[in-house]
Parts: sequence; structure tokens; C-alpha cells
Amino acid sequence: MTAVARTLPWDWYDGTLPDNVELDDTAYVETTFSFLLYRSERQPGVSYGKGSSSYLGTMFDVGPSGRVRIGDYALVHGARIICDDEVVIGDHALISWNVVLMDTYRFSSDPGVRREELRSVPAALPRVLTGGAEARRIVIGDNVWIGFDAVVLPGVTIGEGAVVGAKSVVTADVPAYSVVAGNPARVVRTIPKEDDDVVED
Amino acid sequence: MSSAGTAATWGWAGGELPSNVTLGAGTLLTGDFAFKRFHSTRADALTIGRDCTMDGAQFALGATARVTIGDFCYFTNAVLLAELELHIGSYVVIGWNATIADTDFHPIAPAERIRDSLACSPLGKQLTRPEIPKRPVVIGDDVWIGPNATVLKGVTIGDGAWIEPGALVTADVPAGARVLGNPAQIVAGS
Repeated sequence: MTAVARTLPWDWYDGTLPDNVELDDTAYVETTFSFLLYRSERQPGVSYGKGSSSYLGTMFDVGPSGRVRIGDYALVHGARIICDDEVVIGDHALISWNVVLMDTYRFSSDPGVRREELRSVPAALPRVLTGGAEARRIVIGDNVWIGFDAVVLPGVTIGEGAVVGAKSVVTADVPAYSVVAGNPARVVRTIPKEDDDVVED
Repeated sequence: MSSAGTAATWGWAGGELPSNVTLGAGTLLTGDFAFKRFHSTRADALTIGRDCTMDGAQFALGATARVTIGDFCYFTNAVLLAELELHIGSYVVIGWNATIADTDFHPIAPAERIRDSLACSPLGKQLTRPEIPKRPVVIGDDVWIGPNATVLKGVTIGDGAWIEPGALVTADVPAGARVLGNPAQIVAGS
């Protein structure tokens, strides 16, 4: 049952793709360094759709019960994905560098509980939190574009075709075909759907 | 301090620790860039308490800077920029790519900035830089700071405060408050 260790011929990092990472034949993973913090025990823990890709700077900080789905033709160019439940990235989504997608805060909001969690860290190998902070699924819709340094907080759904401006902090759901910007992010305008433009000159 | 025999579970994973850094028992430092910009020559430049985890934290300290960190802290790729003083309490969590600075690094007045650019340039070795404001940053116990957050000079964050991811903290935060946004505003507590 032992699968052959999967390495990437172009990889600068001496790592392997974890067995429960599901890769479409046409998907591209720039480096297995992205899986340094990956601990998912789900099947699959990360799935890459057709023609999707992840590049340097992308880090799957995925806990044992976490799962990340990357849609067809999605481009993940350096997101920090902190996931203990589920992060869904839609088809054709574009995610820029230093973006944080987090479905959990990892730590309790109660300082007393947080102390207990922090006391348990030094005994863990590696030193990661296994704590029970609530995780709430994040959904990045199809055709969404997220600008650099933006943060998407737990429980947020970003509607199809929306644009998230650079450095935005998205604290609430984003309507489809809208542009949000700011910290906290607000809708600054809506964008027409214009289905057919893509094939015109 | 020597961590012989225990380096696998605590100590500095990157080789020899600068002599003016003190780590408490059970404290683990990792990451290639922890001391790349560590220029402090103070005898007590960096003191970290017991059982802390500093995963990829960067300690960028100027010549006279001092940083103290309490016990049971957990930092992930935090960037600490100090020219004067940072005091961080116990049970503090700092998320990925969060930045804390006790100075703006350059003056605001345009003429002063020209002078500063000359002094900072490869041709300016004999020039002195203009005076630049520095004010200590104090972070209390039990504070949680999210990824991509920024804390600027002179800020005091009270015990148990919660700094949401991406928040830009320009003013003091009362104990127990939760802040969000740019500039950070209180959204709950206190």
C-alpha cells in the first residue's frame, strides 16, 4: 500500500508531496516546501483541480481535520492557508502573495483557556497547537481575485466574480460581482458580469 | 546560554546564540533569519522567558535596542523591529508576518529625510543620521495578535487584548479590548 514518494523534478526543496494531496495531472506545484506545516489526515487533505497551480510562498498550515480544495485553473501565488476545517478556492480564482486565508484563530478567545493551550505547546513535537479552537469554513467563489496582503477571516464566503483589494481584511461575506477594499473591507462598487468579453478581441 | 544536550527540543536551532541573548528553559527559536539584523550591543539586548516558541521570528534590533519577552509565548514569523525598547508579557501569541516597531525609522520632515537618505546611502558612511523619534512598545500578558497585524511606536496594549488579523494599531489598546481595522478601532470589550 506504500505509495511511491512523490517528488517534483524542479523542486529546490528536498521534500515530497504528502500521500493525501490529490493532484490533477495538469496541475503545477512549484515546491513541496508549501507542505512544511501540513498535518491533514483527511482524504484528500489538499486537492488541486485541472490546470491549477501553487507557487513559492504558499503554505498549507493545515491541521489534522483540515481540508483545502483548489478549483480548476485557480492560481495560488503565495497564500498562507490556516485551516482546521475547510478552505474552498473556486475555479479560476486568483490569490496573490502574502494573502492569509484562515478558517480558525487556532487559539481560544478566552485568556484563561489560552494559557492552558500555550502551556501545552512546549511538550508537543513539532510545537504546534492541537487545540480545539472553533473552525468555520471559508469559501472563495469561482473567478474571485484577491489582492496581495489581504486577510480572509473564519466563516467568510466570497461570492463569484468578486474582487478583494490589496491589504483588505475581509470580516464578512462578500456579494458576488462586487469590489471590496479596506480594513475592515467594505463594498466600494459592483462590477457587471459581461459573460462574453473573455472571447472578444 | 548553553543548551547542550537539549538542543533538539529547545534552544536556538541555528547555531551559536549571540552572547547578549538569554533564553529561558524550554524556549525554542527556529528560522534562518532570526538574527540576520540583530545589531544590538547592549549586554541585555534580548531576554526571552521560559517555554516560548519563536518559529521564524525576526529580531531586528538597532545598536542600543532592548527586547524582553515573558514566558509561554508563541510567535509565528513575527517581525520585531526595535531601535529602543519592546516589552512583551507572558502568554502572548503573535501571528504570521505581524510586525511590531518602536520607531518609524526615518524622519517626517522632507529636508531631514534628504539628510537621512544621504547618511543611509553607500556614500554616507561618515555622515550622522538625523534624530528619529523612538517610543517603547509595551504589550501586556495574554495578548493575542493576528497575522499581518502591525503595532506602531509608543503603543501600549493592555492585558488580554485581542488584535484582529491585519489590524494597524496606532494608539493604546485597553486591557481586554478587541480591535480591528486600519487604523484599529475597538469592536468589543472594555
